[in-house]
Amino acid sequence: MGFHPIFLKNMSPQPHILVIDDEPQILRALRTILTAKQFRVSTASRGEEGLAMAAAQQPDLVILDLTLPDIDGIEVCKLLREWTQVPVIVLSVREGERDKVKALDSGADDYLTKPFGIEELLARIRVAMRHAVQTQGSKQPIIVAGELEIDLANHQVKHHGREVKLSATEFKLLAYLASHAGRVLTYGAILSHVWGPTERDHVEYLRVYVRQLRRKLEIDPEEPRYIINEPGVGYRFIIND
Amino acid sequence: MADLISTFRNITYKPSWRNILAHFTLALVVTLVATTIFYALSQVIVSLPIALLYLLPVGLCAAIWGLDSGILAAILAFLGLNYFFIEPRFTLFVHQTQDLIVLLVFLGVAIFISQMVGRTRNSLAAARAREREAVRLYQLSAELAELHEDRLIVESIARHVIETFQATRVEVGLQDKAGRDAFVFSLPKGQPRAALDFSQPTMRVPLESPTELIGEIRVWRLQNEFIPTEERLLQTFGYQGVIALERSRLIEAETRARVLEESDRMKTSLLSSVSHELRTPLATIKAAATSLQSAAVSWDSAARNELLLAIDEEADHLNLLVGNLLDMSRIETGAFKPEQRWNALDEVVDAVLYRMRTTLRKHRIEVDVPESLPLVYVDDVQIGQVFANLISNSLKYAPEKTVVRIHARKQDKDNLIVQVSNQGPPVSEADLERIFDKFHRVTASDRITGTGLGLSICKGIIEAHGGRIWASNLPDGFAISFTLPLTWHGVSPHIPEEHEPSATHPGN
Repeated sequence: MGFHPIFLKNMSPQPHILVIDDEPQILRALRTILTAKQFRVSTASRGEEGLAMAAAQQPDLVILDLTLPDIDGIEVCKLLREWTQVPVIVLSVREGERDKVKALDSGADDYLTKPFGIEELLARIRVAMRHAVQTQGSKQPIIVAGELEIDLANHQVKHHGREVKLSATEFKLLAYLASHAGRVLTYGAILSHVWGPTERDHVEYLRVYVRQLRRKLEIDPEEPRYIINEPGVGYRFIIND
Repeated sequence: MADLISTFRNITYKPSWRNILAHFTLALVVTLVATTIFYALSQVIVSLPIALLYLLPVGLCAAIWGLDSGILAAILAFLGLNYFFIEPRFTLFVHQTQDLIVLLVFLGVAIFISQMVGRTRNSLAAARAREREAVRLYQLSAELAELHEDRLIVESIARHVIETFQATRVEVGLQDKAGRDAFVFSLPKGQPRAALDFSQPTMRVPLESPTELIGEIRVWRLQNEFIPTEERLLQTFGYQGVIALERSRLIEAETRARVLEESDRMKTSLLSSVSHELRTPLATIKAAATSLQSAAVSWDSAARNELLLAIDEEADHLNLLVGNLLDMSRIETGAFKPEQRWNALDEVVDAVLYRMRTTLRKHRIEVDVPESLPLVYVDDVQIGQVFANLISNSLKYAPEKTVVRIHARKQDKDNLIVQVSNQGPPVSEADLERIFDKFHRVTASDRITGTGLGLSICKGIIEAHGGRIWASNLPDGFAISFTLPLTWHGVSPHIPEEHEPSATHPGN
């Protein structure tokens, strides 16, 4: 599943990315790299400035650093979500797992831990934009990921063309992860969707069910390809073409 | 203790009527007995020197029971001599001057002896009291000499005061700079001050150093007033207390200074090792980046890939180092709190190996962490950092192409035991403990760089999880092992069962 440059807000062939970060070096590097990758880039070094630019320019995606000089990045995220569904990717550091989860729960689409490789960033951008397109359109009835075929309408899962029997919870979990393919989903978000909001702290359920799913779906459960663990944050379903 | 008090009482002995009556009775008895004996003797022996013999009971009474008894004995002896032995017998008629002289001599002897004896007795009692005072003081100062803590010193003073002075209640208070009681210790324990029917202490002794008021000893005693000797002794107790408290404060200040000095030394050593450590990967990155800029490296040569890989690896290495520095400072300042939740250890290990994949190429990694292991209650990010440090250490010390092994087994109901081993050189017995100390590195070899922080951070993290970490030599290498909790408050995770066997309809 490649990257289809279909953008509903502006149909320009050059998608527009707004980067909000207070470090000039990061801004410079991202501007250079993203411009080279055919993106239109604008930058802001403060939260207020970033919010104003987001409103004025209507970017297709926002890259947001969580530590800003004026307002907290999580706050920026919430303020953006009050009026726009623009995809937001937050940048954070290794020690900031709690902040990452907070940002994701406040509406951010994904996160990247600094320092990050540029391939990783581009992959995140692709996923976030594709997802933005999908949420605007209708849901795909069948998700295909490598050898895996998930029929959401008929509750059917095929691996290498053979049907795999899943329990109701296993299917619900897989369907939730797969329909947000490429995006990180926090423990709390997955648990409240699959087991209900009262169970959102029971990470142990998730660990056990992810293990069961891997055993049924992965070729080598010890080296998972589909369901990837994001330490301290959640899980990500990967679709490799 | 009671005898010391009675000794004090003796020094300031005041005769009571009851004592005088007793002494008189005794004097009467002694004189009567003596008279009876003398009378019997006078029937047998002719011309007995009766007057001389009567000096015996007089002296005896004066010597044993004091002046009052002696005087009475003298008078009685005179009367007895006069009545029974001097002609005309059985009358009390004094008609010779020489009889009067005998009476005066008796009185003089009684007074003289009682004075002599009394003085000796008093000085003996005083000497004994001084000796006991000295012993008490010695015991207090000997005990205080061994104490280096304000609290213990105060307790010791209070205990000695209450024992020595048989006080009803003793309070020893330490004051803060503002002059308020910062700490008060009182004896007997569990008896509130309100239990006393008066609130003002019988005696207060300030604990004063040359420069400031440290505190106060307050003594309540219901039975007896304090006499000057006791007051003096209590003062001396106070001086001893001040000396001990000042010494303990000096020691404390010195320890604090030493800790500061040590931490200063550590910081200097950290800075020098960190700057060296930071510069090594930076040098690689700089060199690789500049050669890529130069025309010397062609765009699709193997050298170019090698250089790019070096930049990537060294950047990761810098990242691990910075993470360690942050962790160390958080562990040091006590700000380190693991965010524990249920985790599958195989997932934690996989995430670390994935993150480190480029640096692992030169070694063989064997992972034996079965997915059937029960869940561990840990902070997965922190435990990931432990694995990253241990693996990075193994890569550093073990030769290329050797095996680095990660192995986990259930130890008991509550613990998992994890081992990260390599085929690197063994470590001397003495170093097995010390390698977890900050900045400790086993080899001084130039080939191996490191701040020596990695293992001490691992120890900090594992211990914050309630686990244990240790190093050991293996027949063919070296291993670090640690334990991780399988229960939380003694409870294993509960996973709800699914009742429906399968929901993958239709088609089945």
